[in-house]
Order: sequence, then structure tokens, then C-alpha cells
Amino acid sequence: MNISAIALVGNPNVGKSVLFHRLTGAYVNVSNYPGTTVEVARASARFDAAVDLIDTPGVLTLPARSDDERATMRALLNEPLRAVVQVGDAKNLRRTLTLTALLAELGVPAVLALNMHDEAGARGVTVDAPALADALGIPVVPTVATGGEGIAQLTHHLADTRGLQPLLHYDATAEMAIADLAPRIATHAPHPRLTARGLAILYLGQDNEVEAWLRQAAGEAYAELATARDAAHAQGVTPAALAHERGEAAGTLAARFTARTAQSSPLLAHRVGQWVIHRVWAWPILLGVLFSVYEFVGVFGAGTLVGLMEETLFGETLNPAITQFVQSHVGLPWLADLLVGQYGLWTMGMTYALALILPIVTTFFIAFGLLEDSGYFARLSVLANRLFKLIGLNGRAVLPMVLGLGCVTMATLTTRILHSPRERLITIFLMALAIPCSAQLGVVLGLLGGISFSATLTWVAAMVAVLMLAGFLAAKLIPGRRIPLVTEMPPMRLPLIGNVAKKTVGRLKWYLIEVIPLFLLGTLIMFVLDQIGALPAIIRAGEPLVSGWLGLPKEASAAFVMGFLRRDFGATGLFALSRQLSPIQAVVGMVTITLFVPCIASVMMIIKEQGLKIAAAMLALIVPFAFLVGGVLNHLLRTVWGAGA
Amino acid sequence: MSPADLIARVPLGFLLPGVQARVDALDDKIDPTQREQLVAYGLAPNRPLVVLQQRPMTLVMIDEVELALEDSVARHVWVTWR
Repeated sequence: MNISAIALVGNPNVGKSVLFHRLTGAYVNVSNYPGTTVEVARASARFDAAVDLIDTPGVLTLPARSDDERATMRALLNEPLRAVVQVGDAKNLRRTLTLTALLAELGVPAVLALNMHDEAGARGVTVDAPALADALGIPVVPTVATGGEGIAQLTHHLADTRGLQPLLHYDATAEMAIADLAPRIATHAPHPRLTARGLAILYLGQDNEVEAWLRQAAGEAYAELATARDAAHAQGVTPAALAHERGEAAGTLAARFTARTAQSSPLLAHRVGQWVIHRVWAWPILLGVLFSVYEFVGVFGAGTLVGLMEETLFGETLNPAITQFVQSHVGLPWLADLLVGQYGLWTMGMTYALALILPIVTTFFIAFGLLEDSGYFARLSVLANRLFKLIGLNGRAVLPMVLGLGCVTMATLTTRILHSPRERLITIFLMALAIPCSAQLGVVLGLLGGISFSATLTWVAAMVAVLMLAGFLAAKLIPGRRIPLVTEMPPMRLPLIGNVAKKTVGRLKWYLIEVIPLFLLGTLIMFVLDQIGALPAIIRAGEPLVSGWLGLPKEASAAFVMGFLRRDFGATGLFALSRQLSPIQAVVGMVTITLFVPCIASVMMIIKEQGLKIAAAMLALIVPFAFLVGGVLNHLLRTVWGAGA
Repeated sequence: MSPADLIARVPLGFLLPGVQARVDALDDKIDPTQREQLVAYGLAPNRPLVVLQQRPMTLVMIDEVELALEDSVARHVWVTWR
């Protein structure tokens, strides 16, 4: 870590992470929805290796209210910041300047990057950047981060950053309260970089991070600060009143420097954005999107590509050659068996990871990246809102859940965009229970798609029913109230192929680094269990549950043992048994393994986000619940379809 | 006073798509944190907006921002409409 840092700060979805990539060369996930970045990212700047650049989560409001906003506030308080690059949306100068007004009070040297000025131009919005720079007293650089426009100019100005001019004076009562509090902060809790006045405004605005910082820095004198704040609140100096004044000042300034020309007709992107959430057209569009994903991932990825990899490349070429090589060169029979036997590290571990899973996750990540960057995911929150109301959530929770279809571990982190601890807890629980990750989803689609479309549909219906039922019960049991949905719709955009490719490669790299060691470890455990005779014993012990209750072949017990390590590993075990499974067995097996324990990485993330007790309680609920649902479904399907199906 | 001068004060959720209005007030039934967010999005008193659609949620355009609001929020946002 360098001793000097520059932070990129701004509203959500304004292009901070793209700019971070331009300025550092380091890639962090970039998508077209607010809340892609939930933690700070750090890398050395290209223009000066001695400077760390810090990418922060977007802030809708400061004082911070959500977990991701708090992460940004912590960066402002604790990082050795030399300057801040405020990234703003040129189409929305008012909101940009509302944040600028607060940064000005904090006294941090700054540069304003007015990003996406191409989109602003297309909508008839132009900003007089030089005049705005004069008014603010800092450089204002129009940029198009995706195209690299304005980056050189921005870098040039970073060598010469200046403090912002104050944008407003609050009303007399507020100014008196600030004037009362700021000297106390300067005396009892001076900050090395931020002004006491700025901290006073944030403290009056009830920013929890600032409060925690002041509490620690002031020690016993904190009580004096708290008394002064309470007195100010009693006089009407409330967070809402302060925010309103900042908004008004920003609005006035924005109006001075923004010109708008009337558009003859709405942009195509605008119209598409409305169609996809239209009360009628939204549903056929959604079905079309889902069907396209199914065709690309389930049919092309899990069918065609897996066929090529598993049967042709591995089955006919690689595995026979490697098996022959190992058997002729490795003298120890047990070692040869460990490498290329039934539970061999190559023939099972690597073959599952590379031949079965890799083609599936690759196609999934491509489809996912395209949808992410188009702006469609954010609109799903509007479509899902009514349904999510039933489970005590609002449509915003659809974002982590959809991201969970990529990787539940990362999506667990994304729940930080939700506004209440209750929403986060319910969403994390539902993801751990009923959201399959891409690898598992691909295996499910590959197995059930190969049987029939109705088998796939039955699995989908079962998962949605479980999700709704579990969510409904969780919402009833977990205290707290539901927060109604208010959300911004990002513009619909044509995805940039380069960004989708970068994201796909990054995700595949992360996936393979996580998956291959776990698949090899799982295979090793299976091998050892088989060698010491424990696997047959486990299969026998699991027979009443697996064969009796779930109606699966007894060998499926092994898949559930594998599922303890990763659900997709277990699902792949069932996939390998597919020739022995009837359609009902395939559906029941896949529903049970989908609901089964989340992977080790997800459990670790749940512990990190929710604590050990909650994670343990979730696991204690999930495992029996998975078998309960699987058994009920088995008996239901046998009654409806007949035992012979 | 001509009919054109009449100003109606109605909840945002009552307006038809295409109508231009001006925010009058956010009432106290909206959670305080959510009120702050709405103001940050631009749904602040005296600001103009255009209603884009009302189903499945209220969708408004403020400046260049498209904002979706659930009915339980939209009915507590009071707007004036000429």
C-alpha cells in the first residue's frame, strides 16, 4: 500500500469502475446497474506508481445510509487521501453537485470528471464545463470513460488538485449549529485531512461512520459532541433539512451551467427501456430472454459444447491417452487408481471441472455479462417487485438473486446494496437455500434439458415454489418491516463486447481457481472413502433416505457426499448417473441437490457477512429441508405422473 | 380564473402517463431514510417531472433520471398539476 491515495467517489452507476480501470489498468467488475461495486478496490495509478487509486462504492446520499455507502465514508475518513476524483454523470448535474457540495465542506482537494457526456449530448444536455470549473474552483473534465476520452486531461489535472469553493451557506439556525459543533470537533477529535465543519455537517446528518469515528477520536469528550448535536436536532437542524438545502443549492448551480435542447422523439434506448417493463410487453420479453439463455447455456453450452468436451476430447482422446500413460508408467496400483480410476483426480476431478462445468459456466457468464451490461437486470427489480412483496422483500433483492445465478458467494456480498439488515438476512438465506450457481444451473439444464422441457419446467416450478414458501415463512418469522421499492433505471445500452469478454475471463479465472482445488479435494475424499470401505457403508446407511424417501438409486448417496463440498460437484455426480435415472428421479435428485448445502466459499461469505451463529442456523435448516422437499416432490410426482415415469 | 389556471394537488400515483407535474411535498408516511433518497434522486419539492407509466410501478422522469416507485410511495408524493 502506498502512503498517498486518490479516491474515485461518485453517485452509483456513473462509471467510476471504468475510470478506475483506465487510470490503473486493474480491472474490477463493471456493469450497467447501480451497486456493482460494494467494496473499495485499490491499485497503483498508471501515472504515478507511488499513488494508490481507490475505487469506492457509489453513494446516492451522503451522510451514508447503506452498507456500501458506509464503505465509501470509511474510505474518506481512514485512507491517506491526497485528493478525490469526483465522477459525475453529465446528464444529471444536479445530483452530481449535491455530492460536490458535501465534498467541498470536507475540504478535500478534488477534480470533477463529468462522465458520459456523450450520452448527455445525445439527450440534448450540454454542460458548460469551463464556467462550472470557475464556479467550483477546481478542474472540471468532460470524460467518456468507456472510450478513454478526457483521461489524459484528467490525469494532467490530478497533479494540481485544489480545494473546492463552498457551494452554499445553510440557513441561520443550521449555520449556528455547525458553528457550535465544528470547534468542539476541532478540539476533541481533529481529523488529519477533513475539516471540522464538514465532519460537523455529516454528524448532524446522522452519518453512522462519522459518529463512530468521532466517538473513538474524542473519547470521553464525545458526550459533549452528542449533546450539541441533540440540541441542534431539537432546533430543527435535521438530516432532511440539511440535505434539502444542499439539493436546492446544487439545483440552482446546475441550472446555471446546463443547457437543454428539446428532443424531437425519445431515444430508442429510452423506448426499449420502457418496453421491457411495460405491463403487457414485459412478460413476453422476459420469456424471450429466459428462452434465449436456456438455448445458449442449456442447449448449446450444456449439450453441444459439453458433448464435444466430455465425449470427444476427454472421452475419446485425453482420458484414454492419460490412463494408458499412467498405467504404464506408475508402478503403484493405488496411485494409478488415484489418478485415473473411478474416483481418479484426472478422470473424475479434472474431467468434471473442465469437460462438464467449464463449457457451461463459460456460456452462462457470456449471457450473464450481456444482460448485466444492457441495463436489463435493473429493470427486473420492477417486474419482480410484486412477487417479492409476498416474501417481505422488495424488487431490489432480485439483483443479488440474479447475480447468485452466476456465483452465490459473490452475490452474498452484493446484498450490501439492500437497505435493511432484515432484507439482507432473508435474501442471503434464500440464496443459500434455493439459488443455484451457474455451474449447478448448467448441470441441471444439461441433465433435465436432455430429458424433456417439462422436466426442466418442473424443476423451475419446484424451486420457485420453495423460494416463495421459504421467503414467506422467513418474512413472518424475522422481525422488522418491509421497505417499499424506489429505484433508478439505468439507461439501456448496447453491451460492449470487450467489457463482456473481460468480465467473462475474470469470472472464469476466479471460478477455476476456486473450483479445481475443491473438485480435486472432493475426488480425493471420495477415493479415500472408497478405499477404506466407507463409501459403500455410507451408501448403505443413506439407502433409506436416498432410495426409500427420495426414490433415487442408492449410488446417488455418493453425489450427496460430494455435494457437501460443492453443490455443483454433487449435481455433476448425479449427472454422471444420468443413464440410470428415470425422469422423476432426475427431477427429484436435482431439486434436492439444488437445495442442498451451499458451497464452502459461500458458507465462509455468509459467516463473514452474518456471523457464525446465523450461518450455522441456516445450514441446520437447509439440509433437512432439502431432503424434506425432495421426498415430498418424489411422492407427489409419482402420484401425478405414475411410478413408471 | 380560467380553467387553464386551475392547479390540482394530487398524489403522484393518480396521474396518467404523459402528464407533466411538479413535486409539491413528500408526506410523513414515507420513511425518513427513503424521503432522503427520493430527494437525492431529484424528487424534491418544486421540481418538475413527467409520468412515464403507472403499471406495474410508477415510473417518472426527473431531469434525465428514470425513477421507479412502488405505489405505496407514489401515493404519498404530492404533486401539482395544471
